[in-house]
Amino acid sequence: MNMKKPLALLLAAGMTLGLAACGGTQGSTESPAAGGETGGSNTGSTVELSLWAFNIGGFTEASNWDSLIAAFNEANPGINVTVTPINYQDGDQKLTTAISSNNAPDIIFEGPERIVGNYARNGLMVDLGDLWTSGGSDIAEGISSVSQLDGTYYMYPLSVAAHCMAINYEAFEAAGALQYLDEENRTWTTDNFVKAMEAVRDAIADGTIAVKVPGIIYCGAQGGDQGTRALVNNLYSDYYVNEDGTSYLANSENNVKALTLLQDMVNNGSMSANASFAAADELQAFANQTAAVTFCWNYSNYTQYAEQTQFTPFAMAFPSDDGVPELEMAGPYGFGIFDNGDEAKIEAAKKFIQFVCDDQTAGVEAVKTTGFFPVHSSWGDVYAGAEDAELRAPFALMSDYLGRYYNLTGGWTEQRALWWPMLAAIMTTGADVQTEADNFVQQANANIG
Amino acid sequence: MAQNTVAAPAQTKPKKQKPSQFSGMSKALVRRETISAYLFLLPSLIFFVSFVVVPMFICVVYSFLEYDLSGVRGFAGLDNYIKLFQDPVFHRGFLNTVLIVVVAVPTVAAFSLWVSSAIYKMHPLPRSFFRCVFYLPVVTGSVAITVVWKWILHPYYGLLNQVAGTGTFDWLGNQHTAIWFIILILFTTSIGQPIVLYVAALGNVDQSLVEAAQVDGATKLQVFWKIKWPQIMPTTLYVLVITTINSFQCFALIQLLTKGGPLNSTMTIMYQVYDTAYRLNDLGYANAIGVVLAIIIAIFSAVQFKLAKTE
Repeated sequence: MNMKKPLALLLAAGMTLGLAACGGTQGSTESPAAGGETGGSNTGSTVELSLWAFNIGGFTEASNWDSLIAAFNEANPGINVTVTPINYQDGDQKLTTAISSNNAPDIIFEGPERIVGNYARNGLMVDLGDLWTSGGSDIAEGISSVSQLDGTYYMYPLSVAAHCMAINYEAFEAAGALQYLDEENRTWTTDNFVKAMEAVRDAIADGTIAVKVPGIIYCGAQGGDQGTRALVNNLYSDYYVNEDGTSYLANSENNVKALTLLQDMVNNGSMSANASFAAADELQAFANQTAAVTFCWNYSNYTQYAEQTQFTPFAMAFPSDDGVPELEMAGPYGFGIFDNGDEAKIEAAKKFIQFVCDDQTAGVEAVKTTGFFPVHSSWGDVYAGAEDAELRAPFALMSDYLGRYYNLTGGWTEQRALWWPMLAAIMTTGADVQTEADNFVQQANANIG
Repeated sequence: MAQNTVAAPAQTKPKKQKPSQFSGMSKALVRRETISAYLFLLPSLIFFVSFVVVPMFICVVYSFLEYDLSGVRGFAGLDNYIKLFQDPVFHRGFLNTVLIVVVAVPTVAAFSLWVSSAIYKMHPLPRSFFRCVFYLPVVTGSVAITVVWKWILHPYYGLLNQVAGTGTFDWLGNQHTAIWFIILILFTTSIGQPIVLYVAALGNVDQSLVEAAQVDGATKLQVFWKIKWPQIMPTTLYVLVITTINSFQCFALIQLLTKGGPLNSTMTIMYQVYDTAYRLNDLGYANAIGVVLAIIIAIFSAVQFKLAKTE
């Protein structure tokens, strides 16, 4: 029996139908920037918005958006928001892929480093000046300045905090190292930091404490590099970038002195350095008591690792020679809108952002979910009376130490790729500090624009 | 039976003609067969053209453009290629890639052949057991494998340091050792398929030739080189080509274990493509690196085919 002819006909018919179906999809009138996985589209009178949210604080759990979106939908029944959670491991890859294939989401939830420094700088974001005009009057100048580029606002913030470090309180206590800390203000001088780490090292050596190393300078990837940046810059009170943003400063006298001090600490065992560790590895090492300190701490990390830690993680500011730290801002975390060319969606996205960031009921809930502090000064202490208010107090204190925000400097993305290899060279191969710092600055400044 | 040769004219040397599968068929039948064949090929062809040929072409086009997150900024000419040859990271990536290929490919092929030679004559049960054991890393996800290796190589509580008594040595954080562990892990994940293929190929070797050689007094080595080796050559060629391509395209292990570090000591061309595109957002340059990688793989594969054919 010859089955070839009917089979061939069947195949041809199937393919024709398949191609017709594909063609139908291509012929839709959807905005070219929307669609695909983002699911953004206008269906009848409902505006579909896609929100890509980085895993910030409690929003790591995507379901924590549900109540906010439900409340928003109640007030705005014509707008439907779909949340896609992304993380810092592959979020940039997903966003780059989406942007380069004209499938960018409508809204992104992140900080100014990406929203302003990367996407707005590339002309991808919508001007949010009207949101600032209507609701930004009680937002601090330091936060408003980092939400804009060349005088145009591209980000509308929700919450803010400070990056800090933390110690294993019990290990420090057993090592007799608490005497070097100002526990009330959570600060310490560089000299006292060195003494404390040496005390921990000696306590490890004589078996007094069970941790394996005093601390780990992680230099295996760029994630969490805010910790190592702040450590280096604070030790001798210098900055990462000069005031007018025209040069990186890793090779300044004080920063070289700081890097040399850390290199010496690695050499004498009061610090360890691992070129295979990223911040997440170091945090894990802190949580499981392998290391006695972490350089990558904030309230969000505290809540994330709270269940694992069998000790008291005691938040501390970074040590500085004068005992006055200048910390990096965690965030401010907020929203930006990708310019997908659809005015209806842009207006709907602005309504959503305004609801989450300015509506005091929804906003306070959103701020609390991030675990940070509101950017609206008029909201006061949103955690007052909360069960965990006491736990949050140290992190609120850290906000008093916020320093200059330099993460919008030109060539920021490129220099981040250079920072951790420089640390690895200095800390794990014994390379000359000044030479490596000079190389870093030369290459980083090449992209500063 | 179909006539496969054409009768030669008188007084001329008979001319041999290659037998055709269509010999003896009517033209109409041949046409119908051909159309059917093309129709059956069409789905694969559409898929291949849409997802391989067209993207490759686009990749080549983009490699000549200045292209970043904000879109195409202009025509770059050969700038991306010139930059590539001046880029020390690319040089390091190229050397590491070649090192991985040169070490991993022969080792994988030789080890797989050795294991297969040892197990192919076994009883089906132990043979299946060994095939399964060696194939397990192939079907296990890269993430699971790297988690296990990260634990083995962890500087503070890793198995290797405890067994070897090497204190807190950071195997993946040391620029001299990291690449060798990448090669080792790649090796463990690459041997499964060649072993299965070699077991099948060795099982198909004509036993009458082997027995005849043994009767004639051939040694085991002679039997292998003169009888078995030529018969498993197509499998060897396939193993070499596939392992070479896999080694060139080694990405997941590096992404999950070292991110190209420390100090670019595990940077490969493949990883640099990703890093340049998704971290530095320089899509034009990333495409240029991708084009060069494709050319290098093509050259290596062509050389392997040539050598195998010569042999």
